[in-house]
Amino acid sequence: MIAIESVAARRRPLALANLSVEWGAGLHAVLGGYADGGPLLMALVAGLVPVRAGRIRVLGDPPTDAKVRRQVAFVPLDASLPDALRVHEVMSTAAAIRNEPAGDAVRRLESLGVEALAARSVRTLSRDEVRAVALAEALTSAQVRVLLVEEPLVSLDPRAAARLGEALRRRAREGCAVVVTTASMRDATELADDCVILRGGMLAGPPSPVEVVAGQAGGDAPLRIVTREGRALVAALARDASVAAVAGEDGSVLVRGGDVVTLARAVGRAIVETGADVSEMHVERQAAGGVRGGTW
Amino acid sequence: MTIALARPPLARLLRTTRGWLPIAAWAAVAVAFAVTARSGGSVRGADHVLVGGYGGLVLPLLSYAIVGALFGARSLSASIAPLVALGALPARAAAASVLLAMATTALAGLVTAAVVALVAHGSADPPLAGDALESAYAGGLGGAAYAAWFALGASFGRRGGGRALLLVADWLLGSTGSAAALLTPRAHLRNLLGGPAPMDFTQRASAAWLVAIAVACAVLSIRRAHVR
Repeated sequence: MIAIESVAARRRPLALANLSVEWGAGLHAVLGGYADGGPLLMALVAGLVPVRAGRIRVLGDPPTDAKVRRQVAFVPLDASLPDALRVHEVMSTAAAIRNEPAGDAVRRLESLGVEALAARSVRTLSRDEVRAVALAEALTSAQVRVLLVEEPLVSLDPRAAARLGEALRRRAREGCAVVVTTASMRDATELADDCVILRGGMLAGPPSPVEVVAGQAGGDAPLRIVTREGRALVAALARDASVAAVAGEDGSVLVRGGDVVTLARAVGRAIVETGADVSEMHVERQAAGGVRGGTW
Repeated sequence: MTIALARPPLARLLRTTRGWLPIAAWAAVAVAFAVTARSGGSVRGADHVLVGGYGGLVLPLLSYAIVGALFGARSLSASIAPLVALGALPARAAAASVLLAMATTALAGLVTAAVVALVAHGSADPPLAGDALESAYAGGLGGAAYAAWFALGASFGRRGGGRALLLVADWLLGSTGSAAALLTPRAHLRNLLGGPAPMDFTQRASAAWLVAIAVACAVLSIRRAHVR
């Protein structure tokens, strides 16, 4: 559906170089911060930025093609809607542009739980509500086959945020190519079927398991390693300088250190050293008041 | 689809005070000029007001206000960005906005010029009905040319600041007898309204130049429309 071949593009201050990737139906994530060029990549696929080198095809044609544009929805972080219209008028205007029946605006907005906004003027909407309406339009359009969303869970009406993940997955199951860009590894891995990392305008491939684990962590969250050989693992980890604290408990080991990537590597070394059979490793969610169940 | 693309700018014009109030105000100024000439007993009142206050001040500023209201006081690209996000081609969305601006300004120019000609008509002016019709034609054509002129201006600058630049350029160059005046709507509008002809152009030639300015500016502004 989306084929990007050796593409270079620039829109100050962002640039992309020698970018090649193909996306079919499904939910795909591009992991990277603003400066890495995620928004530029989205604008490129949406046909809003010219390609300097290489080739890009969306639904088999250039993204600037009128037929393609109607089938592509792009919801950037600073989404905008026609300002003097009411929300239900925006939905009917969008339907006319996409060449599809208008349908019931309230029902379409219900998909993200923001049907109460139907009669409101766009001028009175908050930024989060504007994004929710733009997403509802994109998600419920029968024409849209490529959906591009920048930071899907950031700056979004809470009613919509609760339903967005499932709504995006549903569209992907229906055969759409849904691409999200995010700086959050957690959002990327929780939402998407696959993920590529964009660093400094270049694709760095999929994230490593350590990066995935680290990306799901917040601050100095501990790691829990599920193993039957916890005693040996605890002893090995206790000798590692990068581990701040370690404790064995009930068939698992809880380990804490400053940086989750360093911590995960320390666990890796300990596993190799002890030959422990580890069935799972994940970031421990922190309960209020400290680490749940750990003895430090 | 074109109607759908024209709906948001039209809503900006009709639903916001900032949209229609300047237009109503400039139309009122035009009528005030005409009433003043009539009450002053000017024998060539219509000629005097149309060439002076109306053509020189009211129509350019009325057109400036209409284009500003339709584009939401932003650049052309910024004003069409929400439509492009909904799947419209930038060029089509820009064309709908520019054509709407030209049609609206032509209508406003046509009506206000006819009203001015009727109200300010003096004893030495040409016959009333014919004068009103010719004034309406000049006002309509001039309005459309000014709308395209300012639409081109709105395609420059992050907030469409080129619009003000072209207003000043029209003011400074349009009243001179130089060849540069030929590129401005002002010089040709003055000729059509009965004022001095630029480079001794006939009224028909000035009308053709106004059409050419309108088409060229509209095409250029649409070509420059891209979404950042």
